[in-house]
Amino acid sequence: MFKKFKASKVQGLLASRLTPHAFFILLSLYPFNPLTVTSVFAQAPFYQGKTITIIVGTKAGDVYDLYARAIALFMPKHIPGNPNFIVQNMTGAGSLIAANHVYNLGKPDGLTLGAIFPALYFDQLTGRKEVKFDWTKFAWIGSPTVSNHFIYMRADTPYNTIDDVRNAKEPPKCGSTGTASTGYYMPKLFEEVIGTKFNIVTGYQSGGDIDLAVERGEIVCRSFTITAYHAREPFHTWRKKGFVRELVQTGKKRDPRLPNVPTIYELMEKYKTPEAARRLATVILAAGDVGRPYVVPPGVPADRVKILREAFTKTMNDPDFKGEAEKRKLELNPISGEELEGLAKEVIAQPPEIVERMKKVLGK
Amino acid sequence: MLDAFVSGFWQVVAWPAFGYLLIGIAIGFFVGLLPGLGGLATLALMLPFSYTIKQPVEAFCFLLGMLAVTGTTGDITSILFGIPGEGSSAALILDGYPMSKKGEAGRALGAAIMSSVVGATIGALSLAISIPIMRPLVLLFGSPELFIIAIMGISFIGTLAGSSLIKGLLAGGIGLMLAAIGVDPQTGAIRYTFGFLYLWDRLDIIPVTVGLFAIPEIVDLAVRGTSIAEKRAEKLTGVMEGVKDTFRHFWLVMRCSLIGVYFGVLPVLGANVAQWMAYGHAVQGLKDRNLAGKGAVEGVLGPGSANNSTRGGDLIPTVAFGIPGSGSMALLLGALLIVGLQPGPEMLKSRLDVTFAMVWILIIANLIVAALCFLILNQLAALTFIRGGLLIPFLLLLVFIGSFTANNSLNDLMVTLIFGLIGYYMVLQGWPRPPLILGLILGKIAENYLWISTAAYGAKWLLFPSVIFLILLTVVVVAYPTIKERRGRARYERPEGAI
Repeated sequence: MFKKFKASKVQGLLASRLTPHAFFILLSLYPFNPLTVTSVFAQAPFYQGKTITIIVGTKAGDVYDLYARAIALFMPKHIPGNPNFIVQNMTGAGSLIAANHVYNLGKPDGLTLGAIFPALYFDQLTGRKEVKFDWTKFAWIGSPTVSNHFIYMRADTPYNTIDDVRNAKEPPKCGSTGTASTGYYMPKLFEEVIGTKFNIVTGYQSGGDIDLAVERGEIVCRSFTITAYHAREPFHTWRKKGFVRELVQTGKKRDPRLPNVPTIYELMEKYKTPEAARRLATVILAAGDVGRPYVVPPGVPADRVKILREAFTKTMNDPDFKGEAEKRKLELNPISGEELEGLAKEVIAQPPEIVERMKKVLGK
Repeated sequence: MLDAFVSGFWQVVAWPAFGYLLIGIAIGFFVGLLPGLGGLATLALMLPFSYTIKQPVEAFCFLLGMLAVTGTTGDITSILFGIPGEGSSAALILDGYPMSKKGEAGRALGAAIMSSVVGATIGALSLAISIPIMRPLVLLFGSPELFIIAIMGISFIGTLAGSSLIKGLLAGGIGLMLAAIGVDPQTGAIRYTFGFLYLWDRLDIIPVTVGLFAIPEIVDLAVRGTSIAEKRAEKLTGVMEGVKDTFRHFWLVMRCSLIGVYFGVLPVLGANVAQWMAYGHAVQGLKDRNLAGKGAVEGVLGPGSANNSTRGGDLIPTVAFGIPGSGSMALLLGALLIVGLQPGPEMLKSRLDVTFAMVWILIIANLIVAALCFLILNQLAALTFIRGGLLIPFLLLLVFIGSFTANNSLNDLMVTLIFGLIGYYMVLQGWPRPPLILGLILGKIAENYLWISTAAYGAKWLLFPSVIFLILLTVVVVAYPTIKERRGRARYERPEGAI
């Protein structure tokens, strides 16, 4: 009772004293309020004189690293205050170490960016205890390119189309470095959703090692990125000689460079894949749309995330950057941070039965 | 073909290509000397600088020139301080460092540098000669063959075991076990990682090698309280003696160079394995096997030549198929693409001169660095006469910076320390260390290629003629010393028996 009385009295006092005249005086003083002073007098942008570190989850010289080093050269001029950029390599466990580090040890001040693998959410979904992040809580800055995949098959094998692989008595042998590689789980996914059969031989040391094994005829097929297939040897020679043919690609639309190769979505339509399997395909193939993403840890102020996202987009459209990327043979097909954020939320919300099937595809 | 060969030479010595070559050599010189910091990492860091170079040969002078000399100068650190300057120079410690201790650093350095030049030349010439037969040569080795070669390598543990065969075999077995650490590529199972993400990618060979070999030597130096060289040599020269040793054992150097080329061509083995094979081969041929590890110059010549000749061999699959033969070749391939060249069959037809320019770069870079080394070798050798107390802080710094460059992780330092401790006890108890390293390197290769062979061919691969040939070769290589010894003894005993 007493409290109520007091409160109403104070309100009454305020109301009686705060004439319009006084209100305007207060308003004019508002900028000097210590709580608001920074926002009005912050002539110097936050990033001025600061250093942004990009933590790359691969070794120096790897393609993720090459992108990061090119972006580090051109992004500063698109951020107000032109901060310095440095690239730091933190290798290990397929960039899981880098992702854990950025999420937990990176300060949420917008000065630490992570360049991590797009498929790390597989480990979160399948419940790996080593995962120390929540995929949906990263703030997504952008990705310079998508990375869709395809399967090549030696042309002197009887497998002319994906249909032949479905009906084959003896499944063709595809090479892969390990079970965490697309060389392994893409063919496995096709097995789940369109009923193809592949015999996957794992343990090769590198992609080049697999291509050599295909030249020798030890194995006959491999799944990897469409970009790499069009960027270098031995594939130029292979295409020219008709040494291999392409069976299936993973993008939502056909890649302009592979106009006659069906997408997995078309094939799922053709073979009337049930809904659950389609959902599985969407979850796994989303990694291709995420491409080569850049993230900041959760808790970075929204205005800084906005600055970084805008700077990323501007960098991607910068003609100088495009020229440099062209020179360094880095394909550009950028995706914005907003789109990545949407994708991240979509892939993590999966029912248990999808997760179970996913474990099977990923060999876990 | 001859035109291209000559044109390649002139392109390398023309300005500004030659200037780039000198810059590359200067960088490679120091990278080689510093332990841990290897050719591969440096190549990755230098790659962006090459983007501004327009001509392929000029870019290659810079990058390949740098890479070519790291193997040569890496040997210097191994010999002088017992610290591997490069991962591929570790085998030189075994006999090179004892030579330094005996006050023969000059001779060891002379032998290492000269054999490096011979090795690099053989490697480069092999690249040139094999151009017409490159493709079949590379395709000769499939996964079953690689598996048998890895087994052959593992069987060399017997040769590297030193005085006690049992301890050697056990050390090799520990190495094989350590090779199992990490994510298994066949099933994705995580083995022996004890919750450390760092161990998922298997133990990195650099921190293990540096810890195992360098730390015990540094501790030993501290305990002895003297300089590295125990005896003061009459005079510091002896470099020429080492050069003469190279030609005294010329055929050994040639054979070891060819071992290097062969391991370079194989897509996954490379200099890290070749050096041990060459060392094993060199000490097998010693008249008195007990001299191995005690400062036999053959133990310097073998790996010295082999780790340089692999560079030429490495380039063969890169040039023939456009498929990199090693990590550093993958980066070089990237550089080729940027200057607008597509390595592969097409380049051999249209730009043969570039391939020959690579041959010349390998040879010229090594000649220049050898000349440079000979100018300062005596001064370098004098380092072994500095009081240990002054050297140790500096050496420890080098060791830890070196191992840290493997993954830029503090865990690299932990691995170095742990293996330093293990190495120290191994030395104290008379356990040989090379079998452990060999087991660690080859365990992974043997496991993977056994799986691949079986997955791809079932059991049929055991009957491939090439596999049978390699198995027989392995048996001969393993049995040869025993046979030689028996026959030698038999010949020696016969007259006695007659009496």
